[in-house]
Amino acid sequence: MGIIGAHGAPLPMTAAQWGGATAIFLASAVEWVEAFTIVLAVALTIGWRRAAGAAAAGLAVVAVLIAVTGVGIEAAQADIGLIRAAIGIFLLLFGLRWYVKAIRRYSGRTALHDEAREFAETREQLERAESRAAWVVAFKGVLLEGLEVWLLVVALGHTLSYAAAAGSAAASLVLVIVAGLALRAPLTRVPENTLKYLVACAILSFGTFWSIGGLAGEQAVWPLGDGTLLLLFAAYGVGGRIIAWRSRTGASAARAQA
Amino acid sequence: MKKLLQLVFGDVRNVASVAVALLVAFGVSRLAPAAAGAVLALLLIAAAALQAI
Repeated sequence: MGIIGAHGAPLPMTAAQWGGATAIFLASAVEWVEAFTIVLAVALTIGWRRAAGAAAAGLAVVAVLIAVTGVGIEAAQADIGLIRAAIGIFLLLFGLRWYVKAIRRYSGRTALHDEAREFAETREQLERAESRAAWVVAFKGVLLEGLEVWLLVVALGHTLSYAAAAGSAAASLVLVIVAGLALRAPLTRVPENTLKYLVACAILSFGTFWSIGGLAGEQAVWPLGDGTLLLLFAAYGVGGRIIAWRSRTGASAARAQA
Repeated sequence: MKKLLQLVFGDVRNVASVAVALLVAFGVSRLAPAAAGAVLALLLIAAAALQAI
């Protein structure tokens, strides 16, 4: 996957662009795995053909959103610093939410996301539902998970190219579909929390870099340039694991005292 | 719509954490620009600790 230069020749991708592409790929994979679990449960209730139709309808809405937003971003003639600051702030809001959730799961304060349980619960819910209601469950499941992918493509697409960002999300969708259809079972072995945590650290790093860089001047705030992204990623990675460890040991100590 | 807003912004604590961290970091950037990024990252890690524990 390359970036096309002004004369049509592919340009080599920078570390930041690889980081952005990887973050979109992994984050999308997490969302697609959750969507696949719902579609699989629906397929076993109303059949693969109707469930696939519902999933395709949900994906079509997401694809249209990605395409329309891409055209809008191309057409927007705003100051680059302002765009970076706005996208950075959005990434901080989005990333902090994922970061806290992943830390809470590492520390045991929130249960790990369990695809097998999610699958069983959806199946149980569908047993009482009509065929049309089951179709809606698959459509909504794919749409809601796809909306998170759309938000990330819009935000991180700024680092590479919009087409490359959308391509990363599409590649992870293909991977999840192939793996899911091969197994015909919920993808329980995907280390969802680890992926979510790594993506949250990457999103927070980009958000930190662009938000304050856009507001106060990138060169003044980040004298080391793009390389700072790796330092930020390491800081968030280590910081979050320390919080999770402290939280876990604190909770154990409280239980021992009680 | 509510679901979409929640997807983008998260809850009130999330929005407040990011707003306060950015305001403080922006203030620091007026005095010591090279320290502003580190301050922002540290404040966000602290906010995550407060929310997670």
